[in-house]
Amino acid sequence: MMYPWRGEYTIGSPDSPVAIVTLASKIDFPKDKIAIWGHMKTENLGIEKVVANVISNPLIRVLIVCGEEVRGHRSGHSLLSLHSKGVDDNGRISGAKGAVPFIENIDEEAIERFRSQIKIINMIDVIDNEEIMKAVEEQLAIDHESFGEPYIVEFVDNKNSDRPSVKRLTGKIGFHKDLILDPFLEIEEMPVEES
Amino acid sequence: MLNFSKEQIKIKIGDMSMGGQPGELPTVLFGTVFYGKKYRDHAPEAMEEIAGFIATQEELSQMTGNPGICDIFIGSEEQIETRLNFVLDRVPENRPICVDVPESELRAKVLDHAGEIGVSSRLIYNSLNLGLEEMEKEALANNPPGCAIVLGYNPKNMSTDGRMEILENGAGLLDQGLMDIAKEANIPNMIIDTGATPFDHNTAETIRSIPVMKNKWGLPAGCAIHNTVESWLWMKDYRKTHREAYLTCDVGANALPVMMGADYCVYGPMRNAGQIFPFIAMVDKFIAEGGEDYFGIEIPEDHPKRRLK
Repeated sequence: MMYPWRGEYTIGSPDSPVAIVTLASKIDFPKDKIAIWGHMKTENLGIEKVVANVISNPLIRVLIVCGEEVRGHRSGHSLLSLHSKGVDDNGRISGAKGAVPFIENIDEEAIERFRSQIKIINMIDVIDNEEIMKAVEEQLAIDHESFGEPYIVEFVDNKNSDRPSVKRLTGKIGFHKDLILDPFLEIEEMPVEES
Repeated sequence: MLNFSKEQIKIKIGDMSMGGQPGELPTVLFGTVFYGKKYRDHAPEAMEEIAGFIATQEELSQMTGNPGICDIFIGSEEQIETRLNFVLDRVPENRPICVDVPESELRAKVLDHAGEIGVSSRLIYNSLNLGLEEMEKEALANNPPGCAIVLGYNPKNMSTDGRMEILENGAGLLDQGLMDIAKEANIPNMIIDTGATPFDHNTAETIRSIPVMKNKWGLPAGCAIHNTVESWLWMKDYRKTHREAYLTCDVGANALPVMMGADYCVYGPMRNAGQIFPFIAMVDKFIAEGGEDYFGIEIPEDHPKRRLK
C-alpha cells in the first residue's frame, strides 16, 4: 500500500522522484511533477508520518524541505538532523533542536532506509513557489533510479498493548488499576490521605 | 462530581489560586497570545489586537471568577523582552504570567531574562518536559520560576502509566523524573500537564490521567486538550466550511478534563476567551454544586457558582 499513514498531504504523480514537505506553509504544486507533498508540524509524530510514507514509494529519491519553519518545534531542522545523524538509543533525534524530537513508532531499519533512499534538499524558510519548482525541475532532469521494493511501516493504532483483556469488577467502577471507584463506600469511611 | 480521598494541594501564585477538590476552586484558564505568523514581527496592529484579547480575557475573568492567565508564546530570543513587557504592562501586577516556549535553549534564556527583570516568582513555566537539556537545568537552578508545568508526554508509552513514568522516574528517557528535577531546582509550585495527544495516539489517556494523577500525587492537573481537536484530520477539512462546528468542538472539549477533575485548561488562542469563559464557568457550576451538595465542599464567593446566578 503506497502512503500507508494518514496525514495532510496531496498525492500527485506516482512516478515522480520528488516529494516535498512544506513545514508550516501551505503551498501547492503541479500534480504531474511531484509524487506527494504536504505540511509537517511536529518534530515527532509529523516526522514519523513523512518517513513512513516516503519510503513506501521507492521511486521517491528526493525530499525537498521548504516552507516556513515551525517555530518552537523546529520540525524542519529536526527532519534534517534525522536524515544526517539518525537517532540515539532512546529514540531522540541526534542533534535536533526541536521541542520533543523523539521517534518511537518507526524502527531503526525504517530510519536507515529513509536515510539511504532519500536525498534531502534543504530549502527551509523558502516559500516562493517558483524557486521551489526550479529545484524540482533540476531533480526531474536527473535520471533517478528506483530504490527497489517498497518499505511499508504499518501504523499501529495502539502500539503499547494488544487489545486489553476485558476487565470485570463487581460492584465497583473501574477507571484505572490505581483508581477504582466504589459506589457503595460511605463518605464517612473516606479518610483524607495527607500528601 | 468526583472527590478524592487523597489530599488535594492548592497553590497560590500572586492573585491566582488553583487546585483543591473538584469544584472547590474555579478552573484556571490559560489563553495563548503571540502564537502564529501574524504576531511574529510585532506589527502595531497585531499588538493592538493582542492588547484587546488580554483586556477581554481579564474582563471575563472578573465577571466569571475563573482566573485568566496569559500564556505567552515565545519562539525566538529576540521576542523575549518585547513579549514579556507587553503582557506585564497589561495584566494586574500580582497576576502570574505563563511562558510557553517549545525549545530548551530558549527556555533557559527566558528564565535568565525573567530573573533579570525580577519576575521569576510570577512565572508559570510551560513546560518542564522531556526535551530538557543541561543548559536549561542550570537556568532553572539559577532562576527558579514560581511554578513549573511538568509535562507527562512520553513518546515511548502514551498510556496513563507511561505518562506517569516520565514524571516519576524519567521512563528511561531521562536520568530522573521531571518532578524530581523540579524539586531539585527549588521550584516552589508544580502543576501537571497530562500531555494532549492526537486521536489514535492514546488520546483518551490524556483525560484518564487527570484523576489518576491527582489521586496519586494530589497536585493540580490539567491539559491543553484543544490540541487534540486542532490535529483532528477529518475536522481540518470540515472546519473550512463549518467554522462554528469547529469552535464548538474546540471549546467543548475542555469540559472533558474539567469533568474528570482538571484544575486548569490551556484553551488555545486567547481570541476564543469569549466562548471559553462562560462555557467553563457553566461546567464549574455543575461540578461545584455536585461537590457542595454531596461532599460538603465549601465554595468561595468568587466562584462562578456564586457569581453567575
